Amino acid sequence: MANNEKGYLALVLHAHLPFIRHPEYEDFLEEDWFFEAMCETYLPLLDIYERLTAEGTDFRVTMSLTPPLCNMMADELLRERFRRYYSLRLELAEKEVVRNRNTQFYEVAKMYEAKFRRIRELYEDYYHGRVLDGFRKFQDMGKLEIITCGATHGFLPLELRKEAVHAQIKLAADDYRKHFGRGPRGIWLAECAYNPGDDVFLKAQGIRYFFLETHGIIYGSPRPRYGVYAPVYCPSGVAAFGRDMESAQQVWSAETGYPGDHRYREFYRDLGYDLEYDYVKPYLHQDGVRRNIGMKYHKITGRVQLDQKAPYNPHEAREVAASHAGNFMFNRERQIEHLEHFLGRKPIVVSMYDAELYGHWWYEGTDFLEFLFKKVHYDQRTIKMVTPSEYLSLHPDNQVVQPSMSTWGDKGYNEVWLNGTNDWMYRHLHKQVERMVELANRFPNADGTLKRALNQCAREVVLGMSSDWAFLMTVGTAKQYSTKRFVSHTHRFNGLYEQIMGNRLEEGWLKDLEWRDNIFPEMDYKVFSTGEMEKAAKG
Amino acid sequence: MTSSGQMKKDNTSPEAEHRALPEGYGGTEAALLPRDPNWMFVYWEISENARKNLRREHGDDVFQKGRQVIRVYDMSDGNGSRYFDISIMHEARSWYVNVQEAGKPYCCEIGLVLPDGRFIGIVKTNTVTLPPGRVSDVTDEKWMAVTADFDKLLQLSGVEYIGKGSGEVAKSLAQRWEMLRAVFSRASSWGVSSMSSQVLQRQPEQQKKFWLVADCEVILYGATEPDAFVTVAGRKVSLNPDGTFSMRFALPDGLMDLPVKAMSKDETDSREIDIKVTRTTNTDGK
Repeated sequence: MANNEKGYLALVLHAHLPFIRHPEYEDFLEEDWFFEAMCETYLPLLDIYERLTAEGTDFRVTMSLTPPLCNMMADELLRERFRRYYSLRLELAEKEVVRNRNTQFYEVAKMYEAKFRRIRELYEDYYHGRVLDGFRKFQDMGKLEIITCGATHGFLPLELRKEAVHAQIKLAADDYRKHFGRGPRGIWLAECAYNPGDDVFLKAQGIRYFFLETHGIIYGSPRPRYGVYAPVYCPSGVAAFGRDMESAQQVWSAETGYPGDHRYREFYRDLGYDLEYDYVKPYLHQDGVRRNIGMKYHKITGRVQLDQKAPYNPHEAREVAASHAGNFMFNRERQIEHLEHFLGRKPIVVSMYDAELYGHWWYEGTDFLEFLFKKVHYDQRTIKMVTPSEYLSLHPDNQVVQPSMSTWGDKGYNEVWLNGTNDWMYRHLHKQVERMVELANRFPNADGTLKRALNQCAREVVLGMSSDWAFLMTVGTAKQYSTKRFVSHTHRFNGLYEQIMGNRLEEGWLKDLEWRDNIFPEMDYKVFSTGEMEKAAKG
Repeated sequence: MTSSGQMKKDNTSPEAEHRALPEGYGGTEAALLPRDPNWMFVYWEISENARKNLRREHGDDVFQKGRQVIRVYDMSDGNGSRYFDISIMHEARSWYVNVQEAGKPYCCEIGLVLPDGRFIGIVKTNTVTLPPGRVSDVTDEKWMAVTADFDKLLQLSGVEYIGKGSGEVAKSLAQRWEMLRAVFSRASSWGVSSMSSQVLQRQPEQQKKFWLVADCEVILYGATEPDAFVTVAGRKVSLNPDGTFSMRFALPDGLMDLPVKAMSKDETDSREIDIKVTRTTNTDGK
């Protein structure tokens, strides 16, 4: 039966969170984003990979694990805090099973208890607190391809200096090598934001491919012969894979996509609000304000008020996820058959999603993926799942096209990251980069405290470059927090810069900043030098 | 601050970070950023020193008598001989610039236009090449053979969704999903062997194995003189060497209008056939 597939499916999950770590606080609300994603997406995905492997089900998936995420996963303090987080959730879940005996919520209460026990088991017994080792294990088996991303998810088309582009890519590649023991073959450009020509910096790090939104390929020049259903090579020889919109919308569309099924879990009805206050208080943050705690007992039910929602039935929801996986596969089979006939070549359908959609926003999304992997493996012969690397080794001949500038944001270009809510950032960001380049060029061989200060400058610059801050300002979520983060990193950088240039470094302050903003422990500020950038650009 | 955190007692060193960011950095500089095929963002800063020098050189009233502008250069020819001006106030410090022609390199210069028409440039930005925002005119040899299929390929690629927000995307897809739903109205009943949902394993329900999938597309075909120029619904069709042609369309519910037009090579004669197809889908799924 080998080689009679009609085309390929590449499933790409982009896992990313901004670097949020506040040792200066005992308890920090926004750190929950990471803990929630660990419990709802990252560990459940590993759980699936473990189970599929144990069952002998072959699968292929490509995941970006961005450098901020890797740094958070590896960080000692956040590991301790994650233990506290899941232990509290497990404690509550265990109480809830007792409380809900003989009620209509018993099944869902048991589900959470089992879930958090499994989280503990995976985190402690399987990975000993080192989840990156878990991902690496499946990469080494050839089932998972881990790709990197700009060092801090920097939005490259709005950078003026190529030194900044080079630094984002080089730091990411170095960080990847440290965690996964080899160089990255692929990269997820933050927000799929591509600026023509930046691919030379990918090539310099040995990166062979990246991903683009549909029109990045379609509007490329010359016209791409196979649309988004075959990768193209940039003039540098780095391959670009384009996003398939049909499969994207099937999952992602808020109105008509799978996650809206009325039998799925309701995201907005949460125990943090439903439970009696004194009972739930130990599981809230220190300020005692009711917030979502990630345990939800109701299903979407329909277009009804939150208090009209019906009890969640885990078995029913799982069945729906199975049928949606079947529907997704059926549609991909038809799509691929049709494309193969139409193109006269085996198409590759690249389905790209935010990883956190699965499990966090769409609770049953992880079940959906598990069913999808199984169905593709056992039930059909039309589709072969591949990683982009596998595809490129099977089909090394591809058209040379210069892709268009594009992003996967609203309206397809840079507006989400450049509008009236956030355009004020760029004069500051560009000034920092300019000064950082100046420092790196001026001090080619710093050591001692100066070297530490320069490295910290580089950390502050890259932290300020995260596309997340501009994004959060646009969507209005956590706007205050994202503004504060950008302003803080700017002040920290400018302060250090002035101290360095004035030859009056305050070591106490430097130490404080090293303790707070400890991303990239192996940072080498020289990554920002013009010489390094030029060397990389020449290839 | 939305955070709930309480400061650690031993670590309450005052942060200099609640200060506002500086207004500027004391230099004279400008930068240009691309937003989309027709919009750019320019920001600038003009130092007090630079203003002083301008006054010294061109008179104390230079900022009053001169019109403050952004001069936008089309850099396609390398030196920006085509340009236009946007009147602004220098105090605005940033501006969104609209250009009619996408896909070109642009550069901006902040300056003054004197009453006699002379331009005084104060500071120039970097050059930015905007994306074309459309399908390239450049085709290679290989591509020519399959030109007629490109529109179809664009549709398959979802080009009609480009640049639409998720709400609009959802809307434009609603019709298709309605169709999918109609077709798959018995969504939970596909008999698939690896269906490892626990419920299904426990209670295999025989009657659920029965299923039906149906959809419909339309094939349009015809023939004319091999050297004629033919369009279907306004789109050019490539003819086979014998003058025949065929196209396959998705057929959503509703009315589809497919006017077929042919023009002779010497453009002296033309023929038209207008085909209308109506589809109505009813299912018992309810």
